Amino acid sequence: MGVLFFGRLKDVAGHAADSAEVADAATIEQLFALYAARYPELAKYRSSVVASRNQEFAAWDTPLRSGDEVAFLPPVSGG
Amino acid sequence: MVTLPHDDIYQLVREPIDMAAQIRLVRAPEDGAIVTFDGFVRNQSHNRATLYLDYEAYESMALAKMQEIGLQIHEKYRIHRVAMVHRLGRLEIGETSVFIAVSAPHRAAAFDACRFAIDTLKRTVPIWKKEYFEDGAVWADGELPPAPAATPRAKPAS
Repeated sequence: MGVLFFGRLKDVAGHAADSAEVADAATIEQLFALYAARYPELAKYRSSVVASRNQEFAAWDTPLRSGDEVAFLPPVSGG
Repeated sequence: MVTLPHDDIYQLVREPIDMAAQIRLVRAPEDGAIVTFDGFVRNQSHNRATLYLDYEAYESMALAKMQEIGLQIHEKYRIHRVAMVHRLGRLEIGETSVFIAVSAPHRAAAFDACRFAIDTLKRTVPIWKKEYFEDGAVWADGELPPAPAATPRAKPAS
């Protein structure tokens, strides 16, 4: 599945896009934990991140399927 | 399901926004009012002189969220047409980053819809700005969009 990082999360993860394989029915929370283990700095931002699945805001316990597009979004600052 | 009028405009652009052109596009003989919002780059942030801003977006989702706001204001207010344009990339001081124009038969609905649109855009549309100063750059403080707290459990099929 495709995983996207934006804003400061992109800086912390060092890239804007990645592809990940997760176990069937793994949640967005578990996917984030996978990246937080790889980039410990990322864990600090957990409470100020929202996730989206297929371009809709999604709860952290949302189960994932292969082919999903998940994005981790810091607080938005458009306008 | 309500669908967006096909003459509404929702765009992410990398060139300067032509505000007069947007206003012309929402203006129609049956309307009596257009309210616009012009958001532009301020020369300072928390008393530090800003050099310029750089905007990025999750483009496909940002456009979808902008259209969702359009649907909401068409449902809530008696308005006619909406133009909502956000610029991305590097913007200099004074340049317009976001422009919204709402036309309506009467002014109250246009004012209310335009205010709702910019307030909701700033809270929910995945766009980010990085502020550049003499001595470095920071991602602007923003608002965390409201997300579902937990997934409702699916009901067993009956």
